[in-house]
Amino acid sequence: MGSLIGIDVGGTYTDAVRISDGFIDKKGKIPTDQEDILSTIIAALDYLQIADSPEIDYITVSTTLVTNAILQKTLPEVRMILFPGSGMKLTALPWPVSYTTLAGEMDYRGRIVTEPDPAEWQLLAEEIKRLATKPLLAIVSKFSHRNSFFEEKLAAFLESEVPGIRMALGSRYGHTNFYRRSLTTYLNLAAEGLFVRFADDLHQALASRGCLAPVRVLKADGGVLPLDKIRPVESVYSGPAASVLGAMAQSSLEKSYVVVDIGGTTTDIGLVLSGSPLISTHGAQIGPFLTNVRSLAVRSLSVGGDSAVIVNEGEIILADHRLGPAYCIGGSVPTPTDAIRYLNLSDYGDYNKAEQGLMTLLPEDKRDKKNARDLAERIVKIMTEKIALAIEQLLEEWKAEPAYKVWEVFHHHADFKLSIQLSGGGAPGIISTLAKRMNMDTVLVEHSEVSNAIGAAMAKPTFSWTLHLDTQFRIYRIEETGEQGCWSGPKKPQRVVEDFLRDLVQSHASSLGINGDDLEKDIFDYFPLVENYHTVGQIIRGAMHVPPGVTGRVKA
Amino acid sequence: MNKTGVIFFPAFDWSLGELHPEREERLLYTQEQIFEEGIMDLPQIKQFSPSVADIGNVLRTQAIFPGPKNHSLDAHLIAVGSSLVLGNALMNQEITNGFAMVRPPGHHAGATVWGNRGFCTLNTEAILINYLRATYGIKRIAVVDTDVHHGDGTQDIFYHDPNVLFISLHQDGRTLYPGTGFVEEKGGPNAWDSVLNIPLLPGTGDEGILYALENWIMPRVEAFKPDMIINSAGQDNHFTDPLASMNVTARGYGKITERIKPDLAVLEGGYSIEGALPYINMAILLALSGEDYSGVIEPQRPKDKALHGDAVISYLNDLRRKQEKVAPSWNYRNDSFLPEGKWVYNEKSIYYDTDGFNEHRKDYIRQCSHCGGTVLIFSQKPSAFQKGVLIRIPFDACPQCEQAGYDLAENLIKSENMIMMQNQLKNKVHMWHNGEEVSPFGFKN
Repeated sequence: MGSLIGIDVGGTYTDAVRISDGFIDKKGKIPTDQEDILSTIIAALDYLQIADSPEIDYITVSTTLVTNAILQKTLPEVRMILFPGSGMKLTALPWPVSYTTLAGEMDYRGRIVTEPDPAEWQLLAEEIKRLATKPLLAIVSKFSHRNSFFEEKLAAFLESEVPGIRMALGSRYGHTNFYRRSLTTYLNLAAEGLFVRFADDLHQALASRGCLAPVRVLKADGGVLPLDKIRPVESVYSGPAASVLGAMAQSSLEKSYVVVDIGGTTTDIGLVLSGSPLISTHGAQIGPFLTNVRSLAVRSLSVGGDSAVIVNEGEIILADHRLGPAYCIGGSVPTPTDAIRYLNLSDYGDYNKAEQGLMTLLPEDKRDKKNARDLAERIVKIMTEKIALAIEQLLEEWKAEPAYKVWEVFHHHADFKLSIQLSGGGAPGIISTLAKRMNMDTVLVEHSEVSNAIGAAMAKPTFSWTLHLDTQFRIYRIEETGEQGCWSGPKKPQRVVEDFLRDLVQSHASSLGINGDDLEKDIFDYFPLVENYHTVGQIIRGAMHVPPGVTGRVKA
Repeated sequence: MNKTGVIFFPAFDWSLGELHPEREERLLYTQEQIFEEGIMDLPQIKQFSPSVADIGNVLRTQAIFPGPKNHSLDAHLIAVGSSLVLGNALMNQEITNGFAMVRPPGHHAGATVWGNRGFCTLNTEAILINYLRATYGIKRIAVVDTDVHHGDGTQDIFYHDPNVLFISLHQDGRTLYPGTGFVEEKGGPNAWDSVLNIPLLPGTGDEGILYALENWIMPRVEAFKPDMIINSAGQDNHFTDPLASMNVTARGYGKITERIKPDLAVLEGGYSIEGALPYINMAILLALSGEDYSGVIEPQRPKDKALHGDAVISYLNDLRRKQEKVAPSWNYRNDSFLPEGKWVYNEKSIYYDTDGFNEHRKDYIRQCSHCGGTVLIFSQKPSAFQKGVLIRIPFDACPQCEQAGYDLAENLIKSENMIMMQNQLKNKVHMWHNGEEVSPFGFKN
C-alpha cells in the first residue's frame, strides 16, 4: 500500500495530510486563498512534497470551489424550462431563479395526462435562435423521475433546431421533488464549466510535478468519486463531511458520537451512529437553493476560533464573521483563540498579545489580569453555549426523522450512548466546558488540527442505487442517475428483482471504479396493484448502498 | 400564514390482505404526489415523526375485548400515536393546525372492540380527543366527520357525552355501510342534540356539501362554541371512489377544509387509491396551510353529473326540518345490579364486517342532570361465547355518578368475569378478571 493524500480546503486554513500504511507521515495547515482555490490546493500538495512521493494511491480533495461560486453568484446564467403540470402553485415556493413554463402534464406513475404543445416548443426554439449567446438550458418536468419523455423529447427537438446547445435534464437527478430536482439540475449545469476547468488545471498542475495519482473529490454525503465522474454540485459542503469522516478514522468502530470540529470561521457538527454517519433525509441547502444533493446530516455553525469578539453596550457578543486572524497571531480584533490562549488552554499564538487583545474589550478602569481572565472565561462559555445549542438541534432533528413503516417506528431511535469527538484548532480550548455543558464524555481526536484532511484521505467511495419498478407498466427507474428502462420480467417478481438490481449495481459500480462487494441491501417494498379484484402487477422499491465510511483507522 | 403540522404515516408494511381495499398501496401515490410537489419544503409545513400510542391512552376511550393482546394493534397504535404527536404540537403552539395522514383508519371502531370493523380497530380521533381532555383539560370539542361512511364508532363513543359535538355527513345508510347515521340519532339522555347526522343522497357533489356546511353544520358548530374542531377527513366522497357514489372533487375537499377550519384533521377512509387520494390529500394539506389549492386538478373528470343544486338544497332543508323535529324517547330499566338512579336502556347488534361476526350490546346510561352520566355496557361476542363489561365514569362526573360506577363494579364482580372500568374523571383504568383486579395490559395505574 502506498500513500493517501488528503486536502481539505477550509474557510481560513487548508488542511493537508499524507498517510502511508495507516501512519501519518506529514501533516500541516496552509492559509486558504478563497480567490484562488486551485493554487491553494497546489500549495498544499507541494507542502506535502508529492513530487517526491513515488507511490500515491489517491489524492482526495474536499473543495469549496462550487459552494463559493454558488454563494457568491459567480456562476453563469442558466435558462430554466419547466413542465409543472397541475398541482401546487409554483409560486408557493421561493424560486431563486426565473423560469419558463410549458404545457404538458404527467401523473405520479409517469402517465401522460396532457400532451405538450408543439407550437410552444417552436416559439421557444425561435427565441433561442435569435439570441447571440446561446443559453445553458435546464429542462425539468414534474414526475420526470417516473417518465423522462417530455424532457428527452424537448431536448431532442431543441438540439435539432439549435445544434450544439448545452442542456441538462432533471430526470438525471431522479429523486422525487420537482422543486429540488429543478434547482439541482440548474446548479449542476451552471457549475459544470467551472468544475471542468478546475479539473483540467489540477490535472495539469499535478502532471507538471510528475504526479499521475488519481484525484478524487469528496462529496456532501461523505463519499468520494473520481474527479472526472463527480457531478459538480455533489461536491458542495464536503468540509463538514470531512470532519465527520476524520473523527471516524480516529475513533473505534461501531461507536456512536457527536462530531464537533471547530475551525477558524465555522464549527461543523455531525452525528455518527454505531459507526455510520447520519444522512440527511432532505437534500443539501446551498444559500437560497434547496437541492436534492445527498448529504450527511450536519450543522455548520458560523462560529470558530477566529470569530470576532465585540462588546455592544457592555454585552460580549461573538460575531458570526471573522475580521482577520486572532489578535495573538497579529490580528486586530480579539477572538476566542485569544481567550483560549490567555487561559493557557493552548499554546497557539503569543500570550502577551492575547492579553493585550482582551484588554481592548475592557473599560479602561478595569484592565487588570483578574478581569481579563473573567472575560476570557466568559468568551469560552459563550462559544460553548452556541455549539451546545447546535448539537441539541441536530439531535432533535435526528429524532424527528420521519418513518413510513410499522417496522421503522418500532425500531426508531434506539437509545445510543453518545460521546463527543472533538477536533479542530479551537478544540482544546473548549473541551472541558463543552463536556460539562453537554454532560457527555468528550474526547479530543488525536490529530485534531488536521482531522478534516485525514477524513478526506481515508473516505470510501459511496454508492447508492435506488430502484423503482412498475411491473404493470414494465418500466424501471433508477433514482440516483435517472436511468429508465424496460422491465421484461414477471409481474410479481419477488426475489428476481433483487438479482436484477444487483446486476445493474455491479456494472455501474465497476464503471465508477468502486468495489461493489460490500453492498448493503435495504428492505424492498412490494406494493400490490389491484384492478377489479385481480392483481395486475406490483410497484417495487428497493435500494442497495455502499454507505459512507472510511477505509481504515489512523495508527498511532 | 398557518403553521401546519403533518405526519405522513402510510404504514407501507401493513395491510389486511393483497386484494383488500385498505392495502399498503393506499398512500403510495399520495407520497409520490406531495413529495414531488415539494409541499414538505413549504416553510409553513412542519413534518413530524410518527410515534406509538401507549395502550393506556386507548383503554381510556375504548374497551378492547377480551384484551389488547388478542388483537394485532401495532399499525393502529402508530396511527393513534401520530395523531397524539400533532395534538401535543398543537397544544404547545408549535403549529396552528395539523393533518395526520395516517393509516389504518379508525372511525368505525366504537366504545367496545372485539375486532376490526370497516378496516378500523382503534378510533384515532376519539382517543385523541380524550387524550387532549385528560392531558390538557380541554372542555368542548366538535368533530366533523366528512368520510362518506357514517362515523358510527365515534358516535358510539361520544353518544352520551354532552361536551363532544359529533357531526357526520355521509352517504345515506340505506345505500352504504355501516347502515347507520340517520337524523333520529341525536345523542343519549344526558347529551341530547350533541349528535348531528346528515345522510346525503348519492350524487350530492361539492355544491351540496358546501351548502350543508355553510347553512347547517358550521352554524351548529359555532353555536356549540368548541375549544377545538377535529375533522375526520375521509376521502371517499370523491367521484372516483369505488365503494361510494358521491361526486365530490379534490378542490371540493379543499373548500370543505377551508370552511371547517379544523384544528386537527385525521385521515379516515378513501379507497380510490389512484384517482382521488393523492389529489385530495394535497388539496387538504394546501388548504390547511393557507396555500392556493385551485391548481389541484385530477386527471379524470366526474362522469356522472352531480345532482342538480336545487334538488340537493330542498332535500337538505327537508332533512333539517325532520332532524329538528325528532323528540327524545327513552326506555328505562331497573335491574337489580343497578345502583340508585334512573337508568336508560338500549340494545343493539354491531356487525364486524372484516371478520364476519356480530357483537350484541346492552347499554345502560344513568340519567343525570349534572354530568354526562355513568355508562354501563354489556358486550357479547356470541360466536365465541365471550362477554365483557364496560363501566365508564365520564370526564365531568358528579359524585353520584362516580359512586354509581364503583357500585356497579362491586355488584358485577361477582357475576361477570371480565370488567373494564374507565374512570375518565380520575384518569384511571381498572380491569377485573374473575373477580380479581388485574393491571390492564401495559398500562400503569
